[in-house]
Amino acid sequence: MAIDSLKIMRAIMEGSKIRDEKGIIPLFGVYLSLYFTSYYNIVSFDFLSRMGKRRAEEAEKLLIGAAQECGYSTFHGIRQSWEWEELVQPMLETVDDQIEGFLAVATAFGWGGEIEVIDLIPGNRLHFRVHESYESAGYLKRLGIAEVGKCYMLRGVAAAFMDLLYGDAYPDGCFTFSAIEPFCRAKGDTFCEFIAEKSST
Amino acid sequence: MFIDWQDKLKRIGNRVVLFDIPIAMHCHHYNINLHKMLEDSLGLEGVRLIYNAAEESNHTAFKIMLEEYPLIRSDKSKLEFAASIYQHCGLGVINFQDVGPNGGRIISPSSHHVTGWLAKHGLRKTPGCHFTRGWIAGALEAIYDLPVGYFEVREMNCKMMRDPVCEFDVRLKGGRHGD
Ligand SMILES: [Zn+2]
Ligand SMILES: [Zn+2]
Repeated sequence: MAIDSLKIMRAIMEGSKIRDEKGIIPLFGVYLSLYFTSYYNIVSFDFLSRMGKRRAEEAEKLLIGAAQECGYSTFHGIRQSWEWEELVQPMLETVDDQIEGFLAVATAFGWGGEIEVIDLIPGNRLHFRVHESYESAGYLKRLGIAEVGKCYMLRGVAAAFMDLLYGDAYPDGCFTFSAIEPFCRAKGDTFCEFIAEKSST
Repeated sequence: MFIDWQDKLKRIGNRVVLFDIPIAMHCHHYNINLHKMLEDSLGLEGVRLIYNAAEESNHTAFKIMLEEYPLIRSDKSKLEFAASIYQHCGLGVINFQDVGPNGGRIISPSSHHVTGWLAKHGLRKTPGCHFTRGWIAGALEAIYDLPVGYFEVREMNCKMMRDPVCEFDVRLKGGRHGD
């Protein structure tokens, strides 16, 4: 059965409006915020430039790691939440279907629009395509064409999805997988694509 | 003030937008991870980066949003609108009662970043609401039609340090209150 991302999206939009007197949105087992993508892009790309060429590799690793650790905790919380059980679980037929559910949430979160799975080899490899990641859109707008992929958040999240499904049981499986971004709109490609595989280290 | 959030927050094509400005939903894990990464890797420069990013993005967004709502004319209703945006975006509660174009004081009794920081890292020894400081600066500069960098917002008390509320002091850059 296909995952109805619109249904999840509607629930998030509804959920986003449930704000208690504290102005905090507890949803899917986490505190959710809605904020302009320009903020996240300035933070990531200014961070990279402040770290300079000498610390570029460290900076990229930190950005990916921040997202991977977040994706790992968040999507663990998400799949344990009553919202997931009620909205998504009935649409899942196999364990691997969870990936579709995760990607539908990512779309609803505004991370990249339409997302398609190109290939999933259970336990080994996840390959998906993102049509308009906000990171690539932000990079192009702010800094022009890039030499390498710029979607660090989605790289971390891609690996986190595999960690959750095929790594050791939570909380020991984070960083079992790592992801590359062979195609990125920021480099002038038509889409961004992510491939998560077992980490070599 | 009535804002139809269902109409303002929606998906258009590949984007999720608020008042037609692209937004992303993120959880406290990511927001706080970015915060900690910047403080740990760049120290005060990282703190400034968070402030500047929030100030710039908020200034741009508020300019657009206020243009779309020409009926929000008075400064008081613009401040109310800003507090409502803060709350609807899940950023927290912010009280603008004691602030004007010359600066002032702002209180926040609860926020996403405070709740998120305390959940992940516990109490701090220094104020930690760098995002909110920048957010306030950008919103006020847009509301009073001033350029980015006009105000400097400092945090005098912070719930991340066990203070009862976060309290912000808004001054004209250069250190003085305008009055
Ligand atoms: Zn990309
Ligand atoms: Zn604070």
